[in-house]
Amino acid sequence: MFDEPYRWIDAIHQRRDYIAEQLDRATPVIGLSVSEGIILASFHRQNPKIYELYDRIAMGGIGHPADLETVRGILLNMAHVEGFQRSTSDVSIERLALFGLAPRLKTAFEDVSAPPIILDVLLSEVGRTQSEDRFIKVSFDGNLERSVDRMVLAPTEETAQKASDLLRDRIPRGDRTLREVVGVLSDVFLEILFTRDERGLDESGNLINPEKLAECQSRLREERQWEGVLLDRKAPARIKRLNETGDLCL
Amino acid sequence: MGAGKLRIDLDGGVFHPNTGYFPDLLRKVSPVQGVARSECAPIPGASHGTTILAFHFQDGVLVAGDRRATASNRIMSNRVDKVLEIDDSALLAISGSPAMALEMARVLDHSLKYYRRSQLTEISLEGKVRILAQLLKENLPMAVEGIGAVVPLFVARDPESRIVRIYFYDILGAHFEGVEFSVGGSGSPEVQGILRYLDRWSPRPLREMSREEAIILALRLLETASYFDSATGGVDSQDPIWPVMKILTSGTLETVDEATLSAIYRNEVMRVR
Repeated sequence: MFDEPYRWIDAIHQRRDYIAEQLDRATPVIGLSVSEGIILASFHRQNPKIYELYDRIAMGGIGHPADLETVRGILLNMAHVEGFQRSTSDVSIERLALFGLAPRLKTAFEDVSAPPIILDVLLSEVGRTQSEDRFIKVSFDGNLERSVDRMVLAPTEETAQKASDLLRDRIPRGDRTLREVVGVLSDVFLEILFTRDERGLDESGNLINPEKLAECQSRLREERQWEGVLLDRKAPARIKRLNETGDLCL
Repeated sequence: MGAGKLRIDLDGGVFHPNTGYFPDLLRKVSPVQGVARSECAPIPGASHGTTILAFHFQDGVLVAGDRRATASNRIMSNRVDKVLEIDDSALLAISGSPAMALEMARVLDHSLKYYRRSQLTEISLEGKVRILAQLLKENLPMAVEGIGAVVPLFVARDPESRIVRIYFYDILGAHFEGVEFSVGGSGSPEVQGILRYLDRWSPRPLREMSREEAIILALRLLETASYFDSATGGVDSQDPIWPVMKILTSGTLETVDEATLSAIYRNEVMRVR
């Protein structure tokens, strides 16, 4: 069936479109570096999407929960075996992404005879200082994208750009604290997930219908659940769960 | 199939869920690790002495160990840490073969983290105790050949009740709770006798001792053990080498700092006549 190159390329295109369509409604995951460590935050409908992977390392994923669980298992195993056989400091998101996850995702994506993996992954690694914090995004086709300071994992380019613009405007680069950032994140998610009209704003961004805005805020929390973690720079062996105001959840 | 490599953990139609047991994972990726097996003959004289102890006092449990590692009549090191933090609620004090004991501590450390991260929940206290028992059982071939016996003390806080408990093991992995205290290593007979005597006949039982009294007692016990047992390192205040001493309470895990040990040792243990 796929023995002719054209058919294979055609199948790959269809596969890409199918996966993009499946990811389309996902709520983004935002990763931000702060003085206390790295914050990963999102809202989820049914299943959590942010997980601890290893000392200093956490992941967020958007896509099919079963695929997220499979990939999480692969990364957990690789990280713990490497950390045990060598040292905890030898485990890095660069190695996990480049040698562990990306080749597997690419192989799975290009095998058009098998069901696709519907998943994009954001890996984050907290360093000793804010400038050493790292983010890597691994797409469903095995592509890698690296960043420092912040990174958005979003289902579409458009949403990613919108989220990045909002973060750039609301959260300046450089030194900032957990409290300063978490307070802003809920509003950023609100703006990503609801259109200007839905939020009761006019074309210039002025609030003309506060009731609509209140309804969006209420819907955000009724339909979805906040999820936030801190990779603590001072205690990196265990992630800390955060509530929407930045307090630690016990 | 590419996706198959990612997706499926089926073997003959039987689904094997991830149990979160780290030694199983190690065996899968590297058959020589995880299960200790020995093909070599015992090494004559390769015994390893030490003194480790743990007892309840007013605030929680104090765990202490000397720093000496020996092989036969040779002192290999005087700076070994034998009281290890497994996580923020568990301590492992090791006696026996240092190689196996330290490896066991690393496996236990990774096992608890791996369980928490893979199963998305904390393992129970009984679960922690059982993992260590399993590791000891797997180490049996090394133990019976006389080259790799490990006899640890495990001190951990119950996540539900917040009570700190002391467990001791035999080389087969059988574990028992040391209700008031437990000891291990070649220097332990003297220490065990003293602790029993104090708990039974001193004006106050061990559990009523203050923090400072507990530290004084631990230093004196280790000093006594080193007096009778050549494989137990004493306190070398000139070098200086201090025992490792940690305190686990219902809410904290703390290492007694060297300044405190030094001051208490000078005033309460040396007692120059």
